[in-house]
Amino acid sequence: MNYTSFLALALVAFPLTNAANAVERSKSEDVIISRPGVLPSAVLEMTDEPGKWFKDPKSGGSLVVIKPGQAVLIKMTDTNTDHTITSLLWQPGAANFPVDQERPSNASVTQTFDKPGLYVFTCKVHPYMLGAVVVDDPTTEGLDIGAEIQLVTGAKVPTTSDIAKKLLRTFFIGTTPALWRDYRTPNWEVKLPDLPINLAGSVLKLSALNFSEPNALLQPQIPGVGEVWVDTQFEGVSGKTKHGTATQIDASNWTIKQKVKGVEQNMNNPHNMWTDATYKYIYQTEWFDKRLTTFDRASGKVYNTQVVGQNPSHAMSNPLNGMLYVALNGEDRVLKLSPGEFPTALGNINTGPHTGPHGHHITDDGKYMITPNALASSVTIVDLASEQATEIPTGGVIPIAAWSDMDHKAYVANLLGTPPKMLSSLTVIDIDGKKKIKDIDLAENYDPISGEHKGEAYGLGPIQTPVSPDGKYVVSANFLSTTITILDTKTDKVVKSLPCEPGCHGVNFGLKKGGGYYAYVASKFANDLLVVDMDKLDIAGRILLVDPKDGQITGNYGMGGQGVLPLPLADAGMLAPTLKLVGTGKLSPEVEGWLTLVTQQQRGN
Amino acid sequence: MTRTRPQCGLSLFLALSLTWPGALLAASAASAGDQHLITLKASAMPSGQLAYEMVSHKVKSSTGKESDLTERYASGPTIPGPTLVMKEGDAAEVTLQHGIDDAQLPVSIHVHGVHYKIDSDGTMKLLNGVADEAAFPGRPYTYKWTAAPGTAGTWAYHDHAFGNPMLGAEDKGLFGTLIINPASGKVPALIDGKVVDVDLADIKREFILWMHETTFWGQELNHIIEGGKEIPLWTNPTVGARLGEKVRFHVIGIGTAFHTFHLHAHRWIEAGTVGGAVDTVNVGPISRTSFVVKAGEGVGPGDWHYHCHVIQHMQSGMMGDFKVVE
Repeated sequence: MNYTSFLALALVAFPLTNAANAVERSKSEDVIISRPGVLPSAVLEMTDEPGKWFKDPKSGGSLVVIKPGQAVLIKMTDTNTDHTITSLLWQPGAANFPVDQERPSNASVTQTFDKPGLYVFTCKVHPYMLGAVVVDDPTTEGLDIGAEIQLVTGAKVPTTSDIAKKLLRTFFIGTTPALWRDYRTPNWEVKLPDLPINLAGSVLKLSALNFSEPNALLQPQIPGVGEVWVDTQFEGVSGKTKHGTATQIDASNWTIKQKVKGVEQNMNNPHNMWTDATYKYIYQTEWFDKRLTTFDRASGKVYNTQVVGQNPSHAMSNPLNGMLYVALNGEDRVLKLSPGEFPTALGNINTGPHTGPHGHHITDDGKYMITPNALASSVTIVDLASEQATEIPTGGVIPIAAWSDMDHKAYVANLLGTPPKMLSSLTVIDIDGKKKIKDIDLAENYDPISGEHKGEAYGLGPIQTPVSPDGKYVVSANFLSTTITILDTKTDKVVKSLPCEPGCHGVNFGLKKGGGYYAYVASKFANDLLVVDMDKLDIAGRILLVDPKDGQITGNYGMGGQGVLPLPLADAGMLAPTLKLVGTGKLSPEVEGWLTLVTQQQRGN
Repeated sequence: MTRTRPQCGLSLFLALSLTWPGALLAASAASAGDQHLITLKASAMPSGQLAYEMVSHKVKSSTGKESDLTERYASGPTIPGPTLVMKEGDAAEVTLQHGIDDAQLPVSIHVHGVHYKIDSDGTMKLLNGVADEAAFPGRPYTYKWTAAPGTAGTWAYHDHAFGNPMLGAEDKGLFGTLIINPASGKVPALIDGKVVDVDLADIKREFILWMHETTFWGQELNHIIEGGKEIPLWTNPTVGARLGEKVRFHVIGIGTAFHTFHLHAHRWIEAGTVGGAVDTVNVGPISRTSFVVKAGEGVGPGDWHYHCHVIQHMQSGMMGDFKVVE
């Protein structure tokens, strides 16, 4: 008896109970008592590489196809930081689902799939890392997607619904850099293969999701004041293995001044920036890493890179004393550092167990910090003087960014809504009262089945959500509807939805020359920066983030727009410490020049 | 020196024959043990993981007797790779073939524990300063190992080249086990409350458990089947024995995580300690523990759990059973 058949007998023999096999069984049991575990049929490797966050080592893509009963190994490879492996959507009733690692780590998962259909995984720290498994019954026509999908938010929707199509399209665009919107070309062509897919018996082609849109850049007619920094987090750079640059745009003429690359430091996925009161330093978080990099705003020279903790996401300073606060998205704390060329860690503020704070905000009087806790359905309010922290449950799924107004009312974006009723929501928090006021349905006018949206409230998947410096509006970048929603803070109703780009992500306000504000919106899967005129509530510009003169960029040109930092800072309270330095010699002539352009209204007077 | 040779068939056989005297000569300086001629191949698994597989393992004993052990191994690539068993005093020529489809990148074997010259380091010239000691498509590479006195133990071998000339692709599955048994043929073990020397011939089952990130990858070496059989057990398996059998575990770490291997209801001694019983051992990357227990000693039959005792790893399913039956 050769080895293979012997083993097969030994393995097959176990489940058999009839007498005819009893003798064979006892013989094989005498010899081999061990029983094999699962052998994975496919692998998804989590990486830092843009668009390849869950990478099939065979195809290089982010989707693997297996048969019912087979298993997939999901593991972390080529990544400098911790992640979670979490089901974003799965087949209703599938055994052992959903998968969810409570805390970020480097732990792997071997998952067996019993039910045909589509399964999508993500990371709760970096929720645009997407990988898919299609469990395909080979006896049916086309790839089995299933009749329904169960979303992590609790909603169960038919695969023929508009929201399911949006998720599919977002998946294919996000994980296929060739499908990202490149404004150097005349049209954005989303062409998917003619692959037959089976939605509960009805067979369609994946190419039914195809579309084309013209690309038209637009120069804003009124210049901005100062400059705008955008983290072009996905750009490839020669001389380093990790991706990302920080792009500096001159707001007076909308040209690119430079791209800071951190080649020597191998700067990894630069995500969000802040500055000091003199605007000499830019503090740059490396979200897929553990580091904070400090560089010179004017020259781009990197002063230092230091380890601060797992997944540093956002950085922001207290306008009262200049202290820098860095949220550690993969941990349960915000790190406090001294400002300057070499920020020094001074202490930690614990935000609560399993919180994973992402896009925190400091009130413009420097009294409070609010952290949206991406890994908990909560926010934490920190009294910055006493450093006392209070965690408030909100019920939102992946609270990802927060912003407070002058009256200590904060708006918190819940990336995946507030179950059971809201697919997309902002939670309003009373900071002084340390309580939740309400949830706002950002997609009130959207029908997830038909896709109809009659009315302006059409924002799905909000990410950054700042309050305008005059307190009138909240502008949200919504990744799933690819819209920008503008909410009137008097009524807390959405008054306008504007088209955004694929991977719509970061928003921040800058000063418009002559008075008023621009909202700048950056998108991950497009290489333009949208400019929204807050007086007209309309798109005023689309600025290309590609610098054709920069020969060091090797791929994903201008892509990966995330953190946005316009300078001067537009919030009056944040601007005040810098205005106080005018004429002291502490500001560069360039910054002094910008400040002469700030109007009385913009100063908050 | 013959470093590369044709891939298979008659020409391989001739080449092997021709190298016998060379192998004998190389090893005779160290001892008069067995000479192993091993050919491994690095291949891709259906999942896209990479793994080693056995092509051929022949042994020529000090008395001149030749035997072919190839049938002992599982067919096709496995994780962990084939477990190579030698004893102190043996020598081996290990030839690696490159069988990873659609890949031109070199792949290697870097071995732990045994003696070798620097041209058998299994690293790239970038690291060793001598040569790219790796197999390329159509260009195998041969390593020479000597299991000199003092090298007894359980050791890792792994790739040190593929995809990254500094690191290699051990993380993708290119790792395996080398067991060097002591010349005495005996290993100390805690049996029935006493530390005694156990004759290796009395050990009928050996369990190899690799701790990779949050998964155990297992294998059984079964010595009951004539000639011995290597049985792949894949992820988080059940390993099984009869009550009272002496079985040997080899637990090895790989990757970046640190683990604590724990087996319920059994105790053992760490090699080198006397009387210091343990039931949990720290296992870091490429560090290992190898021990003999009497299955169910003092506790009887049952599905005795084994697992990593790092809580987060347990939560990720890093566990299996040691099934002890009557």
